[in-house]
Amino acid sequence: MRPNLHIPDGFLAPEVSIALWVATAVVIGIALRRIAMERTNAPARTVLMGIAGAFIFAAQMFNFPVAAGTSGHLLGGVLAGVLLGPWAGSIVMATVIGIQALLFQDGGLLVLGANIFNMGVIGTLAGSLVARGTSAALGGSQWSEIIGVGFAAWLSVMAAAGFTTLQLGISGTTDIGIGLPAMLGTHALIGVGEALITVGAIGFISASAPDILSARTSERGASAPRRIALGSVIALITVSLAALFASASPDGLERVAEDLGFLDQGQGPAFELLPDYTIPGLDGTASTILAGAVGVAVVVVILLLLGRVAARRRSA
Amino acid sequence: MIATGRQDARAAIVTTLLVALAVALLPTGSYLAYLLVWLAVATVAALNGIAPTQLARRALVALPFVVAVLPLLFTRSDEIIWAGELGAISLSVSGAGLRIILTTGLKAWISVQVALILVRLYPIESIVGSLRALKLPDTIATSAGLTIRYLDLLRNEATRMLRARSSRSASPIGETRERAGGTIPWRARVTGNLAGALFLRAYARAARVEEAATARGARGSLSFGGLQQSDPRILQKAALALAAFALISAAGALLPRF
Repeated sequence: MRPNLHIPDGFLAPEVSIALWVATAVVIGIALRRIAMERTNAPARTVLMGIAGAFIFAAQMFNFPVAAGTSGHLLGGVLAGVLLGPWAGSIVMATVIGIQALLFQDGGLLVLGANIFNMGVIGTLAGSLVARGTSAALGGSQWSEIIGVGFAAWLSVMAAAGFTTLQLGISGTTDIGIGLPAMLGTHALIGVGEALITVGAIGFISASAPDILSARTSERGASAPRRIALGSVIALITVSLAALFASASPDGLERVAEDLGFLDQGQGPAFELLPDYTIPGLDGTASTILAGAVGVAVVVVILLLLGRVAARRRSA
Repeated sequence: MIATGRQDARAAIVTTLLVALAVALLPTGSYLAYLLVWLAVATVAALNGIAPTQLARRALVALPFVVAVLPLLFTRSDEIIWAGELGAISLSVSGAGLRIILTTGLKAWISVQVALILVRLYPIESIVGSLRALKLPDTIATSAGLTIRYLDLLRNEATRMLRARSSRSASPIGETRERAGGTIPWRARVTGNLAGALFLRAYARAARVEEAATARGARGSLSFGGLQQSDPRILQKAALALAAFALISAAGALLPRF
C-alpha cells in the first residue's frame, strides 16, 4: 500500500494549481526566512538538508509486509519534520517532491505547488507541529513524544489524502462524495503503516543518538499553548471542511439494519448531547460544524487533563 | 542533441511549463487538439533522438491516478449513454463523465511526455542550475543539488539494508517463499529501525561533507549548481515557447470538440 498522492498534470484546474502555487510559495518563503534566522552554521544546515532529501528518497524504498501482495511504505513527511525541524523539514520535502516530479515524473510540474502543499506543507510542517503539540499536551514525556509522532504521522497521511481529494473535487475531476470516503478509508490504513515506521525510526534514533533529537527539540519554536491553539485551529478547519461533505445517508451498520428490518429493535441512549452530530435547535451545515467544534474542544480538554496527570506523575 | 555539462536549460524549462499550462487549459473533449499537440511533441522528441513510442509508453506512469476520476463515470447524471441493473444496484454511465476521464488522462499523458523530453535533453544538474538562474532560492537549489548528488549513494545503502533484512527477518510475503517473520507491528518497527539507521548514516555523511566544505573555506552559505554558460539565443527560444502556447490555445479554441 504505497500512498499515491502525487497529482499528475491535467487533473487540477489551472486556477486551483495557481492558487496552491501561491499558497506554497508563501509558506516556503516563510520557512526559508525562519531557517535563515535559526541557523548558526549555514553550511552544516544546508548540507544536512540536502543529504536528508536523499535520505527521504531512499527511506521511501523501505517497506514491510502486511498481507499477501500488500506492504506498508513510508512517505516520510513527519519524519523529516521531526528530524530536521518543521521549517527545514518542509523545505526538504518540497525539494524531494520537486525532484520526484522532474526526474521520475511522479506528479506534474504545473501542479507541483499543490503536491508540495499537500505533502510538504500539510504533511510535514503541520504534521510536525501537531506532533509537538500532542506531545506537549500529553506532558512531554518520552511516551507522549512517541504517541505525538505516531498520531501526527497518521494524521499527515489522512490530511494529505483529504486535501488532494478536495482539490480534485474543486477542479471537477472527482466526485467528493465518493472520492473523499474512499481516499480517507484507504489512507487510514496507509497512515497506520506510516505511523508505525515513523515511530520505529524516531525510537531507534532516540535510543542510538539522542543528542540529534534533543538538538532539534531545543530549537526555538512555538510555545506549548500556541502549538495547542494551532493544532486546534487545524482540527477545526478539517472538521468544517468535512462537515460540508458529510453524508446524510445512514452508515453501513444502520443501512444493513434498515434493509434487514431490525433497525427499530435498537435502543436509543438514555440522553443525547449531540444527536446525529448536530446541535439541538440548530439546523443545517452550521449545526454539524458546531457539533464538530464541540467535539474538538472536548478532545483538547481531555488531552490537556491527561497531560497534566502525566506531568504530575512524572514530577512525583 | 542531448546536452552535456551544466548547460542553460532555462528556455527548455519555460517551454515545458508553458506547454503543460496550455495543455491543461485545453477544453474538455478537444480530442483533435490533443492529437495535434501529441504529434508536435512526438516530432520534437524524434528530432532530438528520443523514440516517440518509448516516450509514450514511459508516460503511462501518470495513468493509475485516473482511478481518482473514475467515479465521475457513474455519478454524473448528464448525457446518460447506458443505464441498467447490476444485481441490486442501479447503474448509469454518463457520457460527460467519460469525456472528463478521457480528457484528464490524455492531458496527463501528454504533459508527462513534455516533462520527459526536458529531462532526456538536459542533465538534472543543468536543470537545477537553470532553476537557480530563474531565481529559485539558493537554499532550495543547493539542497536539491546535494540531494541529487547523494541520491544513488543512499539508495544503494538502503538496498543493502533491505537485502540484509530479507536474509534475516521480515521479508515481504510474495517476494520469497518463506513466511514473513514476526507480527505486523514488529515488522513495521524493524522497517522504522532501518529508516532510523539510514538517517544516522546520512547524518554522519552530512557531518563529513560539512567538515570538508568548511575546510575548503565555505562560510555563511554553500553554493551548488550554477550555470557554466548562458544560452545566447534565450530570448528567441522564449518567444518560440510563447508561440507554442498561443498555437495550442488557438487549436483548443478553434478545433471542434466531441
